Amino acid sequence: MILIHIALRNLLTHKIKSAIVGGLLVFAALLIILGLSLISSIDTSMSKSIVNSVAGHIQLQEKGAKDELSIFGQMGSNEIGYIHNFAEIRKAIEALPEVAAVVPMGIDSSIVFGGNVLDVKLEALRNAVKAGDAKQVDIVRRHVRRMVALLDEELKNLKGFSDQEKMSDDMKQGVIDVTAANQPVFWDSFDQDPFAHLEFLENKIAKMAIGEDMLMLRYVGTDTERFRKVFDRFEMVDGTPIPPGQRGFLINKFTYEEQVKHKTARRLDKIKDRLAEGAKIATDDEIKQWIKLNRTQYKEITFQLDDAATADVKAALQDELQTKEADMAKLVDAFMDVNDGNFQKRYDLFYKVVAPRIRLYGIRVGDIMTINGFSQSGYATTVNVKMYGTFRFHGLDRSTMAGAFNVLDLMTYRDLLGYMTADKKAEIAKLQAQSGIKELKRDTAEAELFGDGAGEQVEDASDATPAQAAAVTPTDAPAAASPTAVATATPGGSAKLFAKELESHVYSQDELDGGVVRSAAIMLKPDVDLKVGMAKVNALIDEKKFALKALDWRAASGLVGNFVGVIYAVLAFSIFVIFLVSLVIINNSLVMSTLERTREIGTMRAIGAQRWEILLMFMVEAFVMAIVFGAIGCALGYSIVAYFGHFGLLANNDFMIFLSGGPRFYPALPGWGLPVAMIAVLIVTLISTLYPAWLAMRITPLAAMQDSE
Amino acid sequence: MHMATTSAPQPIVHLSHVDKDYKLGAVTVSALKQVSLEIAPGEFTVIAGPSGSGKTTLLNLIGCVDVATRGEVVVAGQDTGKLSEGDLTRLRLNALGFIFQSFNLVGVLDAFQNVEFPLLLQKKLNGAQRKERVMDLLHKVGIADYAHHRPGELSGGQRQRVAIARALVTYPRIVLADEPTANLDSVTGTQILDLMQELNREGTTFLFSTHDPHVVSRAGRVVRLVDGRIVTEPDEQSQSSHA
Repeated sequence: MILIHIALRNLLTHKIKSAIVGGLLVFAALLIILGLSLISSIDTSMSKSIVNSVAGHIQLQEKGAKDELSIFGQMGSNEIGYIHNFAEIRKAIEALPEVAAVVPMGIDSSIVFGGNVLDVKLEALRNAVKAGDAKQVDIVRRHVRRMVALLDEELKNLKGFSDQEKMSDDMKQGVIDVTAANQPVFWDSFDQDPFAHLEFLENKIAKMAIGEDMLMLRYVGTDTERFRKVFDRFEMVDGTPIPPGQRGFLINKFTYEEQVKHKTARRLDKIKDRLAEGAKIATDDEIKQWIKLNRTQYKEITFQLDDAATADVKAALQDELQTKEADMAKLVDAFMDVNDGNFQKRYDLFYKVVAPRIRLYGIRVGDIMTINGFSQSGYATTVNVKMYGTFRFHGLDRSTMAGAFNVLDLMTYRDLLGYMTADKKAEIAKLQAQSGIKELKRDTAEAELFGDGAGEQVEDASDATPAQAAAVTPTDAPAAASPTAVATATPGGSAKLFAKELESHVYSQDELDGGVVRSAAIMLKPDVDLKVGMAKVNALIDEKKFALKALDWRAASGLVGNFVGVIYAVLAFSIFVIFLVSLVIINNSLVMSTLERTREIGTMRAIGAQRWEILLMFMVEAFVMAIVFGAIGCALGYSIVAYFGHFGLLANNDFMIFLSGGPRFYPALPGWGLPVAMIAVLIVTLISTLYPAWLAMRITPLAAMQDSE
Repeated sequence: MHMATTSAPQPIVHLSHVDKDYKLGAVTVSALKQVSLEIAPGEFTVIAGPSGSGKTTLLNLIGCVDVATRGEVVVAGQDTGKLSEGDLTRLRLNALGFIFQSFNLVGVLDAFQNVEFPLLLQKKLNGAQRKERVMDLLHKVGIADYAHHRPGELSGGQRQRVAIARALVTYPRIVLADEPTANLDSVTGTQILDLMQELNREGTTFLFSTHDPHVVSRAGRVVRLVDGRIVTEPDEQSQSSHA
């Protein structure tokens, strides 16, 4: 048709107009393609990150719970309910052909104490005193004495700066106690009554050195063995997995490095990483800040060194610094004053000489950690649990968000939760009566088992784990019952023995599944569509009348899951803006060209072209432009996506790593991307053609005569 | 040349008591006053008059690109005042041919396509028929060799020949030409007039406006306009005296 011919000819003739409009359309198409592939890839990889690390595809929580489950945490929303009949639920849901596994869960955060160096040293001193090893007592005592001196010095400095009035009475008393413990007379009299001295140090002084050792850890209490198998992103880094059915704690490697590692060492690591990325100390303010901290926080090192270690480190530092300076504080300060020239040498020296003589990690593999939680009833609970090792979520090890979880066994989790149903309590009482186990003095037993922290527990809320174990699985009764018996029979020194028993006790699958959980993750089989899986699970829930609510991972991961939505909104908005701008520019340029062609159009009208034919001509022109330039933009966008899809895009920060689910980002365009981009470009073009086309339609045949008069 | 005799056939154009007013702000300007005119088939008529006398307005009314304020304009048997926009357009397409002062060819189409354009709008002929008709006309106006040249590659005279071919391609009842030689040099203008006169002899009715005395002298009939009025009532046999 001649109109297409005219349209094409016009495009070729008005090259500048076509270039501007075409450029915009290409850009718009490109933007849509890139944006869509970016978002859909982020969506895909982030879903992999979240689904395969902790959320599963679907999360279950109690129906009608006050708060909606939020895996990544939301302040003040902990009333997510309880799931009591997990065993039954698991059996039913795992019977669905779409479901691969159901993993019980409970997510919480607690304060964890670990690695107070003074505590560790005092324990060593107590052991040495008990063993009567005078030489060892002397070595350790001198170290403790120096730690007290440093503590005293630090508190005095603190006193100089802070307002005395604002100190709590406890704090004031603490300062007085530390000053007292720093007097020669205290140490001169140590041998006369070592245990009294030790008690004073343990009860009054150690708490003043606390703070650095306090960690807030977020953990998922779960069936650790199932968790490890179901979430394929999970992999051990140090240590060993928690043995199946046993109690234990695994620390996320990211958290372990970031929070548990010796602060000075950690800062040196960070400087090293930053330098490896190409930064220079001389020009990087953050590195300078770390160096400043390392210099002022020299105590982090000196505090930990006993006499022999101090001598070794002092010699090494003097050698490195070429000085005869004897003051360790000044030596460490000078040593930590690194620059681009000497950093690598000092870093190596630190790890060679200093690191082996300090506690590099506050909590080490095999240590017993103390977890202080607040139970659901509001009282504090304290449990001790063995740290088996560190793990990471594969590909996400550098991501802060994926590093948000640590792993705790389900039994310990339940202890911390301190939740027991009325039914359970009745059942236990009944079983206890049947099996003839004596009523435990639970308040004192707990105190003996877990130390002072549990002393405030109220009787009815404590979890009767050992008793429960005995009750539910009669075959295990002797093993479970014996530590209980020991605990009641010989109060005092048996706490450790009991803890050992508890630590190595293997719980059966029935025990793990039998207790209360707060949520459960459902992992679907590969290639099962999430919507289908959701529908099946919901149907089953309805059929079995389970008091459950199913959330897909996106809903369950709260704000983090909605992040894709936010990016979508941002992209949609920028595309909208680009389109708006394109619309205005294209419209403007077409109006100009319409005005230029007024006489031509008037002539066509005079010769006999109907209005709609003029409109059609404009639409054809717009359509051709949209198709041609849209296709170019799509092709360009597709090539770019294909290029990066093949070679990957380096994710250079934690957030990017989280989004891309790995160290490299591989964008991919969803199948519907190209048609969507084409249609969008078409719509924009047609809309921006409307006004000029309307103008053109209004041109009368008179316009052809205008210059004739 | 066909003469308009007393036994004249039905006129192609019939105007009776036509007024055309333009509103210029608050002032109403009368462009045509009480114009009555008939054009019979085969005429070669010139509307003459100085600038602003209403020549183009009159041509526009006859050409169905404008409507009269008062009076009756009948073109090819149709009262244009009663036709819709679409019908007027169809009337232009099928009954009228236009030749413009500035040629008004479509710049992006070559000579052949420009001539073919009205046939495409008519949708009556197939491709082969169109080609035959177009080439026939291009031969007749003497630029068949330039069929595939675009207007930009043609001289003014050649362009106007293309425009004439375009005006004739639909076998219009009448060809309206608004100062067809105004943008041409005198030699070329004469050639174009020769061509139009030859086509008139072959049966095409022409009505054109001009203020060029040379063109007026070639006219079969002259309608003189001054200030929107016809001053010389065309006496039946006053034309062709100088032909």
